[in-house]
Amino acid sequence: MILFNYIASFFLIILGFYTIVTKTNLVKTVIGLSIADYGVNLLIISIGFNPGGTAPIFTWGELNPASFFVDPIPQALTLTSIVIGACVTAMSLSLVMKLREQYGTIDTREIRRLRG
Amino acid sequence: MMTSLYQHFPIFSIMVLFLGAFLIVLFGNVKPLRHAIALLAVTASLGFLIALVKPVMLNGEIIAYWMGARAPAGGYAIGIALEVDALSLFFGLLIATAVFVSCVYSIQYMRFDDNVGQYYTLFLMLAGGVMGLVLSGDLFNMFIMVEILTFAAVALTAFRNTAKGALEAAFKYLVVGCMGSTCILTGTIMLYAQAHTLNFAQLSAFIPGHMNTATVVAFALLYIGFSTKAFIVPFHPLAADAHGAAPASISVLISGVLTKSGIYGIIRLSYFLFQTMNLGTMQFILVFMGSVSMFVCVTMALAQHDFKRLLAFHSISQIGYVLTAVGLCTAMGVSSGLYHAMNHTLFKGLLFLAAGAVLQQTGTTDLGKLGGLSKKMPWTTALFLVGAFSISGIPPFNGFASKWMVYQSIYYKAVESGNIGFVFVTIIALVTSVLTLASFVKVSQSVFFGRLPKEYENVTEVPWGMRLAMSLFAILCVLTGLFPNVVTTYLTQPAANAVFNVANYINAMLGSGYAESVMGAAAPAAQAVTYVEVGLWQPVSWLLLLIIALLAVTIVAIAGKYDSVSESAAPADSKYDLFFGGEESVYSQVGGEDLFWGFKHNWRGYFNFMHELHSGIVNDYALWAVVALALVTLYMLIVF
Repeated sequence: MILFNYIASFFLIILGFYTIVTKTNLVKTVIGLSIADYGVNLLIISIGFNPGGTAPIFTWGELNPASFFVDPIPQALTLTSIVIGACVTAMSLSLVMKLREQYGTIDTREIRRLRG
Repeated sequence: MMTSLYQHFPIFSIMVLFLGAFLIVLFGNVKPLRHAIALLAVTASLGFLIALVKPVMLNGEIIAYWMGARAPAGGYAIGIALEVDALSLFFGLLIATAVFVSCVYSIQYMRFDDNVGQYYTLFLMLAGGVMGLVLSGDLFNMFIMVEILTFAAVALTAFRNTAKGALEAAFKYLVVGCMGSTCILTGTIMLYAQAHTLNFAQLSAFIPGHMNTATVVAFALLYIGFSTKAFIVPFHPLAADAHGAAPASISVLISGVLTKSGIYGIIRLSYFLFQTMNLGTMQFILVFMGSVSMFVCVTMALAQHDFKRLLAFHSISQIGYVLTAVGLCTAMGVSSGLYHAMNHTLFKGLLFLAAGAVLQQTGTTDLGKLGGLSKKMPWTTALFLVGAFSISGIPPFNGFASKWMVYQSIYYKAVESGNIGFVFVTIIALVTSVLTLASFVKVSQSVFFGRLPKEYENVTEVPWGMRLAMSLFAILCVLTGLFPNVVTTYLTQPAANAVFNVANYINAMLGSGYAESVMGAAAPAAQAVTYVEVGLWQPVSWLLLLIIALLAVTIVAIAGKYDSVSESAAPADSKYDLFFGGEESVYSQVGGEDLFWGFKHNWRGYFNFMHELHSGIVNDYALWAVVALALVTLYMLIVF
């Protein structure tokens, strides 16, 4: 069933990129960035998954060669990635707010004073 | 293993920058304190790296530093590592120098802005992010540092958020930059799924023997991710927007430091992680993207009306040289590419600082409005000319030395491989250099010479702190041009040697013999890199010639002035003037866009096409990124 996760995660990444490329509303662009980010998070978590594994929380006495748990490193990476994703959303939304104040619109086709 | 004190220096040089950033958050309201903290942090960072020159560059040592002393167990890297070889140190020194000069410049450049405390915090975060990227030995850490530097750079681009286009540029940069970061993270995690490690050395040992579809796709993703950081075509519009809007001290960092981090990432990927550079198909993609960047960006620069935007396109054009030279996969090619990367940081930094000085004194960077500033800002003009000579490749400045090496290495590659394509690349490189010179003639003419417009009568020279920063870059430009042998012997050759000795890099991290045991016969042997004698020319005699020419010009100028003074003793009333016939001639400034109108008229189809293409809509730029990603992935899947 893990194959379904991989397909879903790449579907999300591509959907996010598709949103960024096609939508002319800046808020939707930000949503696109977030969707791509969720896709990556799903991919990371799926890669660390072991069927039947337990949570990787052990004390010294419990840890023995027979312990079977999911890979903890991707979980740590996902936490980092989620934090970064939140920062991306916060920062881009604040830029959108400022752009709305200056340009009076959030349409990408009208925010093009720098060109050529 | 005995640990000497200097082995802790790489982590110190990263930590002082971040520590400085946090301290400025606390004490940034006090003006002298925040300047002291920022200067101290960047100076300490530079000092720690300079102290590493002797062991790493001269003795050829590779510093492997495990955070918390978690050395590898059972041949498996479990901790987070820093690894500093000559290549890392080369880029680290470059970055530390640029950050130091930019910090000195900022003190007086930013004195009229609000919230300067936040500026220094972001500034040091950006510096620390790039420093961490080049000194890191861990792929995921590289991703974290890429994110830190992207955020800091976006925030700094929008720092003067009332400036024209600042928010717009920042948003575009954020969108495409984050797409690049997503690509890097996806590539990293796909490699983790294959190799179950994030350590760079261990990945380098594992991957070349286990190439499959997943690793190839990961390679394409990482390659595109780092390309967005280096701003090579098709990501160049972002650089142009960001440079134009950011404060000049940040343009220096974006052009001199961020693009270098992208180039560093591409070198690490293609030479170390995947070791595919000996394949002609892989060389093709780097040389192709480099040549396209060179040519497209220099022609885009010719069509610009804004000082900083023009410099931004030139910046990417010069990065094209670096990428092309690095893509040749010859010892001389890599050495010349790194040499040009170093010179690019120096002269581009100098030019951006000069543009910032003009912006601060006149309030505009529009080439059509400026003119004749050499009378009011002689220091800035002289320093700008040093930078313009350097980037145009006029001897004895540094641009000539490195460009000459690049031409030679491309040409030797053509001879060696018998591939006619490299001859065309040499021609493109030469034509690009000519066009660079042409557009700097245009800039100097329309900003510093010609007649001074009325509204700039009261313009004064910039304060000494800004001149000091520009002079530092100018001195370095001249020195690296006068002594190319010293630079190549002590800086670029050790770095190029490191690039071709991947086994040393792996063994330094994981114990000697590890590379051979994992990779078997496929382990890249430590090659003895030889160099062809480069450029039998005498920079010092060129300098003498330049000084004589300058003296001659000065004498003629002074003598000419003497005459004009004696003439102006005549009565001021124009009816006593000599009458030649007709009406009084009207002086008209040749606008920046008119100087090469013939050339631009003949090429109007191309220029109009490019103008339409750079539409300024963020969707288009995102589309370019997606298309580039798709094409590179497809190409690599076909090739490998």
